[in-house]
Amino acid sequence: MKLKLTWLMTLFMAFVMQLSFAQEKTVTGTVTSAVDGFPLPGVSVIVKGTARGVQTDFDGNYSIKASANETLVFTYVGTKTVEEVVGSRSSINVSMQEDAAVLDEVVVTGYRTQSKATSSVSQVRVTAETIENRPNASFVQTLSGQAPGLNITTSSGQPGGNSLVQLRGVASINGNTEPLFIIDGAPVDEDNFRSLNPQDIASIDILKDAGATAIYGNRGANGVIIIKTRQGNFGEGLKVNYNGYVAYSTLQDNDYNIMDAQDLLRYERLRGNGAGAGNSTGVFNPGAGSPLTDAQIEAAPNFDWTDFFFRTGVTQSHTLSLTSGSDNASQFTSFGFQDTEGVLQDSDLKRFNLRTNVTGKSSNDKFRYGANLSINYSKSNEPNSIGSGAINRNYVLGAYQSVPYISTADYSNGADLLSPLSFTNTPLFLYDRLLTYTRFEEEVKAIGSVNFSYDITDWLTAGVVLSGDYQSEFLTRAEGPESFNAILFGGAENPTSGFQDQQSTRQFAYNQVTSLNFNKTFADKHTVDVGLYTEYFKAHFRTFGYRQNGLDPKTFFPGDGSGFITPANGLFGDFANANILNAGLFSYFASLDYDYDTKYGFSATVRRDASYRFAGSNRWATFYSVSGRWNISNESFMDDSAIDNLKLRASYGTAGNQDIVGLGYFGGPDLTEDFFGTGPGYGNANSIGLAQLGNRSLEWETVTQTNIGIDFGVWNSRLRGAVDVYEKETSDLFQSTPLSATTGVTQQNANTGLLYNRGIDFTVDYDVFKPKTEGGFGMSVGIVGNYNQTELQDIPNTEGEIIGLGRNGGILFEIFSLRYAGVNPANGNLLYLTANGDVTESPDADTDRVWLDKNLTPEWNGSFKVNFDYKNFFLQTQFNYVLGVDRFDNDYAGFINADNVGQFNFSRDILREWTQPGDITDIPSPTATNRNSFGSDRFLRSADYLRLRFASFGYNVPAKFLENTGISNARVYVNGENLITWSEWRGFDAESNGGQRSYPTPRTISVGFELGF
Amino acid sequence: MKKFSKILFVGLLTIVMGCNDAIDIRQPGRLDAQNAFRSVDDLQQGLLSVYNQWDLTPEIAFASNFTDELSVGFDSGGQGFALYDFVLNAGSVAASNFWVRNYRVNNRATLLIEAAANITPEADEQDQYNNILAQVYAIRAYANLELLTYFSPDPTDDTTLAAPVVDFVAPLDYQPLRNTTGEMWDYVNADLNTALSLSNVQSNATFISTDAINAMRARAALTRKDYGTAQTLSSQLLSAYPLANQAQYQAMFLDNDNTEIIFKLERVVNGPYDGQGTTGSVTAGGWAGARFAFVDATLAGSPYFEMDRGLFNLIDTDDVRFDVNIAPTSVINPDYATDPDPVNTDILVIQKYPGSEGRPLMNDLKVFRSSEMLLILAESRVAISNDLTGAATLIKQIRDARLGSAQPLPSYASAQEAYAAILDERRVELCFEGFRYKDLKRIGVAANRGIDRDQTDCTTQSGACTLAASDFRFTLPIPIIEINANAGIGSQQNPGY
Repeated sequence: MKLKLTWLMTLFMAFVMQLSFAQEKTVTGTVTSAVDGFPLPGVSVIVKGTARGVQTDFDGNYSIKASANETLVFTYVGTKTVEEVVGSRSSINVSMQEDAAVLDEVVVTGYRTQSKATSSVSQVRVTAETIENRPNASFVQTLSGQAPGLNITTSSGQPGGNSLVQLRGVASINGNTEPLFIIDGAPVDEDNFRSLNPQDIASIDILKDAGATAIYGNRGANGVIIIKTRQGNFGEGLKVNYNGYVAYSTLQDNDYNIMDAQDLLRYERLRGNGAGAGNSTGVFNPGAGSPLTDAQIEAAPNFDWTDFFFRTGVTQSHTLSLTSGSDNASQFTSFGFQDTEGVLQDSDLKRFNLRTNVTGKSSNDKFRYGANLSINYSKSNEPNSIGSGAINRNYVLGAYQSVPYISTADYSNGADLLSPLSFTNTPLFLYDRLLTYTRFEEEVKAIGSVNFSYDITDWLTAGVVLSGDYQSEFLTRAEGPESFNAILFGGAENPTSGFQDQQSTRQFAYNQVTSLNFNKTFADKHTVDVGLYTEYFKAHFRTFGYRQNGLDPKTFFPGDGSGFITPANGLFGDFANANILNAGLFSYFASLDYDYDTKYGFSATVRRDASYRFAGSNRWATFYSVSGRWNISNESFMDDSAIDNLKLRASYGTAGNQDIVGLGYFGGPDLTEDFFGTGPGYGNANSIGLAQLGNRSLEWETVTQTNIGIDFGVWNSRLRGAVDVYEKETSDLFQSTPLSATTGVTQQNANTGLLYNRGIDFTVDYDVFKPKTEGGFGMSVGIVGNYNQTELQDIPNTEGEIIGLGRNGGILFEIFSLRYAGVNPANGNLLYLTANGDVTESPDADTDRVWLDKNLTPEWNGSFKVNFDYKNFFLQTQFNYVLGVDRFDNDYAGFINADNVGQFNFSRDILREWTQPGDITDIPSPTATNRNSFGSDRFLRSADYLRLRFASFGYNVPAKFLENTGISNARVYVNGENLITWSEWRGFDAESNGGQRSYPTPRTISVGFELGF
Repeated sequence: MKKFSKILFVGLLTIVMGCNDAIDIRQPGRLDAQNAFRSVDDLQQGLLSVYNQWDLTPEIAFASNFTDELSVGFDSGGQGFALYDFVLNAGSVAASNFWVRNYRVNNRATLLIEAAANITPEADEQDQYNNILAQVYAIRAYANLELLTYFSPDPTDDTTLAAPVVDFVAPLDYQPLRNTTGEMWDYVNADLNTALSLSNVQSNATFISTDAINAMRARAALTRKDYGTAQTLSSQLLSAYPLANQAQYQAMFLDNDNTEIIFKLERVVNGPYDGQGTTGSVTAGGWAGARFAFVDATLAGSPYFEMDRGLFNLIDTDDVRFDVNIAPTSVINPDYATDPDPVNTDILVIQKYPGSEGRPLMNDLKVFRSSEMLLILAESRVAISNDLTGAATLIKQIRDARLGSAQPLPSYASAQEAYAAILDERRVELCFEGFRYKDLKRIGVAANRGIDRDQTDCTTQSGACTLAASDFRFTLPIPIIEINANAGIGSQQNPGY
């Protein structure tokens, strides 16, 4: 496995090739890994004693000119070197044996690369192999569980929806808590990856400790994720690769035990309210004044609104890539198309991707350049109001809570739903919206970077990387003029209601890094690397949009203006909006790395950083780090040990967070200033009013991190892994400081307080069975884990606690609530505990609340995997686990809210409700006098889970079957995402933090194949 | 390749030189404090922003939901249950809204007063300048009067605690304790006197005029039970603003007639308050009518609150206030008391805010009307001289006007009976205008009246039917949001909380 994990890195190593006039023949062959039989790309093949050499391509093939008396030398990082005399052969296939002693991955640490052995930082790599072919529209979702300390929470099932990415806990309260993402040198928007094709990614490096992140200055506080896309190789022929899959997504299960129509009608009859009691205002009321008979109830229709609003979403994905290279240039080009249907009606994502990556060099190798360009277009239908309580707007509410005795057959048109206007008709309002409402986003996203480097001498290199990230989103939404909502809010005065919005949002970020690198080895053992850098960043944000009120149904079409009605008497007002924001950063920094004989190493970085946000207060900041290592396994006393790799690392340093409001490049651009604004005032006349009270002492948040880690490999790296212990201290937290209302505001955000994240990361892999022969049985297991605990200190008030935030010494966002204590058997009222633990029906809503030591942030998260290989079959599984998450199950609260009778559906749990004195039950009386009086922890539930997050079963077609077909490799597979979840959480998705009535992530099964030509 | 290194060098230089454009950015569209107010016209625009902070919908939402003006409707989505159940504590929205909103108004008004001090008007601007200041002082007085009315346990006892007096732009670390009611009255009255001395417009329906300032003084005097002042001012205003006839009265609530209007806050289509606001919450904002219905003031407009049946029973069907307050689409069931399903068979849709300018539920907010002056005068007559006949004559006067024909002169046997009659008349005349809570607080005990909901309405809810006017919940608690920032004030919490 190790070999496969490392092959890509060799792409970045330079190699030498020259032409000569010797009489030669062409030798070809395939180089494979002895571990798993897979082809090895990037193996260096050199004719011994000459400068002639090539590298194997993606499929392990090479072709080189050599004479019969010459010897080919095959070298590859982490393997034993193989030498083969050419002789009379024209085809030489080689199997490379792993050489644990020289395991030497290349790792990305900051702005430079190092070999794994000489790196002293905490860093994890995820390779293409574990990303490709996964049926997630965004690669971020795929990263879930793949790296220790990386916690990914996806709270929406919208295809390509944003995920929350957090590395080693939560290092900020209001600021950005997500890592910096860099794609091919371009820093990019960390919340928008829906347009990018995951199949283009070659590797993802996750930088965790201060030794690695301090050099990113005031953007590095939450870690850094560096993404490299695929490249071609010099001197290889054209290779064509096709990947395609079809995926089927369905809603995950719930345990709410929702009623069918018969149960619901019987319950309504019992309660004397709703269609069951004959007094519904909804469209279904056969009793018309008298309660339904048993026969009428049995005859009532049963319509499953969950099945109606949620569907099986079908996805198809195709990626075609071409790679080729000449002596001094190489290219990688890929085309992608994906069409994903979300499981919720009216949600989908279609996208086209084009990527072309080019590399080149001068023939003397001194000058090198590269260009990476990706242009993407996507269109997605995205329903809004998800999570809201709007019965006329949130489809998910309709799916979960609608009464099942109403069906789509009861719908005629929107106007008919106006009178009587009944909550019971909720599903019909939403069905009407499904038919009449449009909301889609079109996005063009282009990410490009070019890099140049020039070796001024053999130890001095100058370089520059220029990159840009452009995205243009165009939102169109329209509420049709004949829709229920339009008529409802238009009223008689405005019979041609309805509206159309269009909003254009453009964003461009430019980044430029200029560098000078010095690298020299003295006396064979002392290697010194010094880098000097400047970085310039500028970003621009532009929006423009309008809203047209009043649409003529005869000519209206969503996105078109033919149906616009001329403004009249204020009601059909058209509104335009526009916004400009600019952002910028500038820094200069340096790094120093020293190595002694790959045994001891020391690194240091320092960065001076300026942010536009703090221009009026503290513009410049300094961040630094120091780190060191001891490669114990390289000591002579370890020579005969079973331990073939053992490295001790330590680092300490600071990084900053200048995005203190957590809204991206442009949020809180000038919080240091007092502002007035002009805008509509009394009587809608223009006015001047206070807009912002400035904070004159504003600054960045600083994260100081200490990390100690060990990397190890035992028994020829059959057992291998890493363990890191860390403490992160965030100081100068930007947080709400309560102010007396007499100042005219109730709070101001200021830099105050401390937040700690302390924890441990580990990853361990073990090859239980190594295949003894090619195609033999192989089994490997692995575990990835992170334990993280947050702690707050120096809370900005005298009590040392802020409700909603936490208390000194407590965890972040600790829940503060009344404690629910069950149902009073005497009267069916709810019981609570006072602060002292006494049982009461009437607690003090303020003083009886207590801290519960629970929050939404996991204490443990990670995954374990079990992989099998036999012959050409493979089976991979990944189980994710999350422990220590508690959240309110407000969906359940809705399902047992007795006040909803006659309007919404219930969980069958409500049948246990208290009805007479002496009843011992967990559901209060439907008329309990205090049922709406207090918020409490009654619905607080553990959301810990274990999930079969991913499984893949597939078959690699053996090369012998592909001979003469023109196909060089073929693979078929079946993948599954979110297959099984074990959890006490009763809702649709234990992972989702979306809250009540939100859109859960789906379960997905896909079938795909991959062909290489 | 030498060329390349030169290019690189030049590039490097450019970056080092050109870095300031990345870190010295002024965002477009910013108006800084020193440039905000430079002329009297700027002050006029600032005044419009201060006016815009002034809203009555929280008071309307709170008084109607907490007292006996409304019931939970057939189309309820669960709105306002806690307040209907008399749940009121330091965490309640009512407490934080009344506190924070009025201090915000106080702050914005003070900012403008301080800005005005830096501007010297030209001679021809002096009148405008004075009038701007008159209005700002009056708005500030209104906000502080509201704080005093709701947070002082007894506005007539100068020794009780009210709210902090903040007559300057407080620094952000300011943490005041409560001033006494007497000190707060001094602040309110000083502002009112300043306003009166500067005002040079006698009457204006939608901007504060001398008449509006006097009406505010009358209400303030009533609140303090300074009945002498209340009597003088209210009788002056009543003669200047006679009661409307039936047609004028109906037109007034469609915002088409100002006969009886001393001052109202204008609400216009596409204006800052043109929206639903927060339904079912004291936070309110938006259309006044959206405190009771989501869509419009008809049966089909999703009325989540309806009129309390007890209030309905007080209104004669010939009374113009029946036509104004009750939507014609209402379903009226005379047998509601015995009906097994009164929620669905007796639907009293509130129509006080039917909408205007073509926008359902959006109406101007009537701040001072002459009928209030009449009722202030009636109360003063009872209080000053036990003039029960004088009070009865005034009650007859308003009923004559509302019913459009001469009504019998009522007779009251005692001051308590007279107060009760005045309170009942206020309950009808000023319903859904945010008065009921403070009226009960002021004379509920003297009139032997409290919150008294119709049995049919409250028993179908959780049985919260009555609450005595002496209950501690007729004073709002100091909100948690203030105590969190200002710990000292936490030990000055109002009794009962």
